[in-house]
Amino acid sequence: MRKKPIAMLLTLTLILAVFLSGCSNSGSDGEGEASGSGSDGKVTLKFMHLWPAGSSAQQNKLVNEIIKQYQTDHPNVTIKQEVLENEQYKNKLKILSASNELPDVGVTWAAGFLEPYVKGNLFAPLDDLLSGSLEGKFIAGTTEAYAVDSKTYALPIELNISPIYYNKDIFAKYNLQPPATYDEFLNVVKTLTDNGVVPIALGNKDRWTGSLWYMYLANRLGGDALEKAINGTGKFDDPALIQAAAEVQKLVDMNAFNKGYNGLSNDEGKSEFMNEKAAMYLMGTWELPNYTTNPDVPQEFKDKIGFFKFPTMDGGKSDINSWVGGPGVGLFVAQNSKVKDEAQKFVQYFVEKWGESSVTEAGVIPATKVDTAEVQLPQLYTDLLNELNQASSLTLFADVQMKPTAAQVHLDMIQALFGKAVTPEEFVKNHQEAIDKGN
Amino acid sequence: MDKVMSNRLVAALYVLPALLLLLVLIYIPIVLTGYYGLMQWDGIGAMTFIGFENYARLLHDATFWQSAYHTFLLALFSALSLIGYLMIALVLSGKIKGANLFRKIYLIPMLLSSVAIAQLWLKIYHPSNGVLNTFLESVGIGNPPAWLAEPSLVLYALFVPILWQYAGFYILIYYAALKNIPESLVEAARIDGASPWQIAFRIKLPLITEVIKVTIVLAVVGSLKYFDLIYVMTDGGPNGSSEVMASYMYHQAFRGFDFGYGSAVGFFLLVICLVVTWLLRKATASKDTIQYS
Amino acid sequence: MKTDTAVRLPAYPGTGTGPTVLRRLGYVLLYSLLILVALLQILPLIWLLLFSLKNNQEVFDMAPFALPATPRWENYVKVWTEGNISLYFFNSVWITVVSVVFTVLFASLVTFAITRMRWKGRSLVLGLFMVGMMIPVHSTLIPLFSLFLKLHLTDHPLSVILSYIAFNMPITIMILLGFYYALPREVEEAAVMDGCSVHRIFFRIVLPMTASVIATTAIINMIYDWNEFIFVNTFISTDAYKTLTVGVQNFIGQYTTDWGAIGATLMISILPILIAFLVLSNRIVEGIAAGSVKG
Repeated sequence: MRKKPIAMLLTLTLILAVFLSGCSNSGSDGEGEASGSGSDGKVTLKFMHLWPAGSSAQQNKLVNEIIKQYQTDHPNVTIKQEVLENEQYKNKLKILSASNELPDVGVTWAAGFLEPYVKGNLFAPLDDLLSGSLEGKFIAGTTEAYAVDSKTYALPIELNISPIYYNKDIFAKYNLQPPATYDEFLNVVKTLTDNGVVPIALGNKDRWTGSLWYMYLANRLGGDALEKAINGTGKFDDPALIQAAAEVQKLVDMNAFNKGYNGLSNDEGKSEFMNEKAAMYLMGTWELPNYTTNPDVPQEFKDKIGFFKFPTMDGGKSDINSWVGGPGVGLFVAQNSKVKDEAQKFVQYFVEKWGESSVTEAGVIPATKVDTAEVQLPQLYTDLLNELNQASSLTLFADVQMKPTAAQVHLDMIQALFGKAVTPEEFVKNHQEAIDKGN
Repeated sequence: MDKVMSNRLVAALYVLPALLLLLVLIYIPIVLTGYYGLMQWDGIGAMTFIGFENYARLLHDATFWQSAYHTFLLALFSALSLIGYLMIALVLSGKIKGANLFRKIYLIPMLLSSVAIAQLWLKIYHPSNGVLNTFLESVGIGNPPAWLAEPSLVLYALFVPILWQYAGFYILIYYAALKNIPESLVEAARIDGASPWQIAFRIKLPLITEVIKVTIVLAVVGSLKYFDLIYVMTDGGPNGSSEVMASYMYHQAFRGFDFGYGSAVGFFLLVICLVVTWLLRKATASKDTIQYS
Repeated sequence: MKTDTAVRLPAYPGTGTGPTVLRRLGYVLLYSLLILVALLQILPLIWLLLFSLKNNQEVFDMAPFALPATPRWENYVKVWTEGNISLYFFNSVWITVVSVVFTVLFASLVTFAITRMRWKGRSLVLGLFMVGMMIPVHSTLIPLFSLFLKLHLTDHPLSVILSYIAFNMPITIMILLGFYYALPREVEEAAVMDGCSVHRIFFRIVLPMTASVIATTAIINMIYDWNEFIFVNTFISTDAYKTLTVGVQNFIGQYTTDWGAIGATLMISILPILIAFLVLSNRIVEGIAAGSVKG
């Protein structure tokens, strides 16, 4: 009597499995076929990106609009999207490249991230596109970050700089002004701690957030010493770099950061700023929607937010218009793509259209020039875009500049530095060893 | 009896589908992992054969051995926690009113995905407004530590959710095993005047020895391979103080672009699991295990 | 006199001797402990529910068990429609069901063959399965992906199902093993004498006897498959085959995360498995009745 139900269940499951696999099979036959052109000139393009509809709604919407428009203009082209979130995207990209199965068009980061892919001959050079309709449209320095051996392998579509956002109300309460020099900044920090307010919001579990602080200190003290040390033309035991590390620990000793920062994610750290427990937050311009257009953030909070540039240091080698920042993600075309020409055309189209609308529709600053006079933007955007135009230099994020293994060492060292587990001397020594290894 | 039960054809039929899947989907990757471990490979470009260099490097890698130490601690605590789960299962399988309901409730956390559990415990451990620290402050403990940021505390802080995640799993297995014991045996003992303790320790436990041995192996091997909550909650940090072998492997292979080395770590981890299992079975082997000859 | 007997009293509840006061106290303690633990176990569910009804700000600002200002049921709506969760839900369900059924079936067949049948090499086969349990999952991603690529199974649910079966069999077999060893042999011997074939012995006699452990392993497999992430993420690309666990990632952005939506998705994820669990866990107890040796 027990047999019947079991047998029935098994048979049912078998049928279900076959049926569903069968369905999927016939469905995937059309899709599982690697992208390519059919005999009737139909082209399928695989595009993988990291803007899920749930979290990056505006970017996702813009991407879909661009795709739709392209498909309308080119009726023989179908674009298949695969969408993953950031960390999983990087994972998947890695796995796909091991089998040489990259999508026709995908998203990549610059410099150190890009290099192994270029060395492995996985990305196609895109210099032709730069001399086409996109010529002169990119802001100086952005495409260079995507070049290896003078060939460009991806086109950037984001540009970010990092101001220090601050809460004007908290500052006013303690009679503080946005500091122009580092000494003034330390004074601000001290005043705030004396009054029981957390000066700086930081979530350093992800480590790149702390790196921003170090980079600015290194920049203000040593100019391009950090860049030189990374690309090998300089050394890490430059006194400016050591002192920058020491300054970080000085801030830690002053209790400048919220409690438990080394174990909090960026989101958790950010929330200290968003709920007004912390007065300052050093972060990129991608954060701007939270202070301007995001409907979930109360307007009265948004009205309190301003920014100032990282203050200069006495005797330092850098001016106040030197920014940490640079191109964000860019689009690549797979070298072994079967529809390379179409893919390149699509990338060109995407970059142009994206550049036209990304600020207004998604709050993202593109790497192509934006005419602030033409577009209607919230004040913070206009101010920052103007700052961008006056920038004296842009230093790309250290963990993107460095090669992958060295980048990991850097990030680990940042966490150790902030946790006071290494001395500044050890900090630079470990960096030097990592750079010397050459990976 | 012998003839029927020695039918090779039937045995093959029963075993082959499973064995085939195992060999193709698990053993091939095992072999390949060991193979990649012999290579210098960033996972993208070409591979260069470097022999046992990766494995040699592994033996001198202080970070790896630190992660191994953390992993062994986890395995130890896991094995010890089994005692607690066994006790709970014993209680639940006895004459307790509402045992059914308790059983179901106790197993609920087991249904949660690692993502949910991680989020929950991140909120509990939050340094300023987390449940734990708010509670500690309210009973007068001045400045409670930031649990996930203190290198000396983070590993132990993580053990709590990890062990809690699997409580339901082991309680379930023990409970099912205990319930399988014929009620007649227990009744007979009770009539003879045995106390609940005696029934538990002298009758029930010995009858489920095989299952207990299995759970010990599962708990230890599971801990050796453990990855999920470490990755989501601290990512091995701060600065490696909560790194375990599996997360170290992941960092090397996927973040550091050193897939050859990552594979070597993975393969080594597998070897460790093998050795430990063999040791465990030797240690827990009893002379009177029924061997079907 | 009362104190005399109190001193001689054994310290555990439930004995037939001793004054009722102490026995009652023991019971009260035991029950309070049990209830306390039960509360601790159920709190996460409540927390998850509250979590899913908040928005991003509230999730971080407020204490975990604080009630949201207005319950944001729209998180659920948004997630079901925009987030494609209905599709992922369906995929999670059928992939889990198929995987669990086949895993438990294959594992039972193998365990039966190893413990009850006699043939050379059965220890070896058992050893092979046990070793299969030891491979760290992330090591297998690249090799498996290459393999499925060659088999044209990438972006096909079969790749996920087969992987689940292969990876869960070792644990399932191990759990079944413990139970199979304890099964009485008299029934089989009687069946053989009656002229039953091996198949009948397995399907009609042994399998029903193991109903409780089958329910147990079914639950365990179900939970693992339902909550599994990395294989789906690696082998599946198109939305059409994604499961809930991957779907949650939809709400984690490049720079921001929609926590309320994640909470809603997690809440939706846990419901079917909660129901299935409640249904199956009863079978564990019922299994005893089927296990008795009938003539």
